[in-house]
Amino acid sequence: MSGNAMIRRFLKSDFFYDFTHAPIAVVSFVVIMVIVTCAIFAGFIAPTNPFDPSSLELMNGFTPPMQPNAFTGDVFLMGADDQGRDLFSAILYGLRISLFVGVMAVILAMVLGILLGLTAGYVGGWLDNLIMRFADIQMTFPSILIAMLIHGVARGILPPELRYEMSITVLIVAIGLSEWVPFARTVRGSTMVEKEKEYVAAAQLIGLNRWQIMVRHILPNVLSPVLVIATITFALAIIAEATLSFLGVGAPRTEPSLGTLIRIGQDFLFSGEWWILLFPALTLLALALAVNLFGDWLRDKLNPRLK
Amino acid sequence: MSFIIANHLTRQYDLSDPWIVRMLTSNKRKQLTAVDDVSFSIDKGTTYALVGESGSGKSTIAKMVVGLLAPSAGAITFDGKMINDETISKADRQRLRRRIQMVFQSPYASLNPRWAVGDILKEPIRAFGLFDSRADQDKRVNELLDQVGLSARDANKYPHEFSGGQRQRISIARALSSQPDVIICDEPTSALDVSVQAQVLNLLKTLQKEFSLTYLFISHDLAVVSTMANKIGVLNEGKLVEEAVPSQLFAKPENPYTKMLIDAVPDFGKV
Repeated sequence: MSGNAMIRRFLKSDFFYDFTHAPIAVVSFVVIMVIVTCAIFAGFIAPTNPFDPSSLELMNGFTPPMQPNAFTGDVFLMGADDQGRDLFSAILYGLRISLFVGVMAVILAMVLGILLGLTAGYVGGWLDNLIMRFADIQMTFPSILIAMLIHGVARGILPPELRYEMSITVLIVAIGLSEWVPFARTVRGSTMVEKEKEYVAAAQLIGLNRWQIMVRHILPNVLSPVLVIATITFALAIIAEATLSFLGVGAPRTEPSLGTLIRIGQDFLFSGEWWILLFPALTLLALALAVNLFGDWLRDKLNPRLK
Repeated sequence: MSFIIANHLTRQYDLSDPWIVRMLTSNKRKQLTAVDDVSFSIDKGTTYALVGESGSGKSTIAKMVVGLLAPSAGAITFDGKMINDETISKADRQRLRRRIQMVFQSPYASLNPRWAVGDILKEPIRAFGLFDSRADQDKRVNELLDQVGLSARDANKYPHEFSGGQRQRISIARALSSQPDVIICDEPTSALDVSVQAQVLNLLKTLQKEFSLTYLFISHDLAVVSTMANKIGVLNEGKLVEEAVPSQLFAKPENPYTKMLIDAVPDFGKV
């Protein structure tokens, strides 16, 4: 099928029709798209580069939003932080880090969860028990605690000179490893249903091995709930990233993510510089809310039984 | 000459409670005997039908004959070779698999909904390495679709675009794609309308003549079986209680269970 025909078929599908007739879905999708576009093209949209210390003017520190600075006369859309960094630019660049960490963490959790869930469901027996009991144990801890634990272990293992460079990678691994369980559970359940179907027996009849049957036959049939979980986990991952960064174990101060910005802002909240906290927090709120609402709609649409 | 021989075939399922529960409650191990000492043989190019109600062990026998399930005791030989032989090489096992294929009961669950029909039919061709070039594989798929009464254009469609009867034709085409000698038909028509049933049965008969196929036909429907089989085996609770040619079986059934089965067919007097 050509790409054009696929797009035309998609525009005519029930899915697309329902989407255009669900205002919440459309609004949340537009919000997500705007935020993602801003983050990707931050380099073109942002007036300054907040990661470049030479562009910072300390005199601009604590400039309120939309008011000219008393010394330099510079005006900032969302104000400037303590180091004179344009907050609007910082948010755009911070979004990049938040979204990157979120996407990579979800991909990691998804791959791990699908792999383990598929294996547990198809192979069964003691392997199934081992994987699922491990998942049960992990579920008894809050995921943020697990992420902090993984982060702490990584800090202990990594040599000091690498810690700083690897902090984003560690963040991704920590969040990814703490969110795989819902994927594994869902995939395992669907796999157990699918493996009893006769098309799997037909594949066994021609001598395909377990791996081929799992990946080629069962996997495509268990993926639709995964999409829904991925969306909801994405919102969780962004919030987890912000929480970790807020607690000071995430993105470093020199490359601030939204969570780091909120932490910096929190220091100045009681001295009256409210904008340093408010704007990053509002951005995070808008992003997480939009992703969650869109995920909810997607869930109702693709798998009514999960409601 | 007997092509398939089932020799004292037995299959038990372990339904015991877990070990720890048995220790606490002092319950014995529970074994369910699904197939109990069944022996039969099928001649080349003929149809052998196994009839019986649900739970009589028909499908378990089918699974053992194709090698999806190992017998607890007894053995099946096919063309002089043992099926479920642990000692044979991978290549030999694959050669055996190619010669025995199966048509399943549910036309809805037996085709992978995410695969186009052409890919479904090509998979056995590739797995057994029958045609190397893509062009030859495509040609073979078109030929198969033609043989089961579908058109070459259907290769690009997905299973949900077909009716139950058409899907069963695809399932038959898949079984044929490896050029087998034996096809196990596990209730191939029980999920279909009566009018469609006749078409599928006729197709199976035509193909049998054309490729001199041997069928093991599993069914609970005596009317269907009477039109298909050269020999019928009646299963009751895992035991083969009677074995006869159709005319004899319907004229004077010897076993009371067979009589009951025949009487249970409402319009059988008219057939």
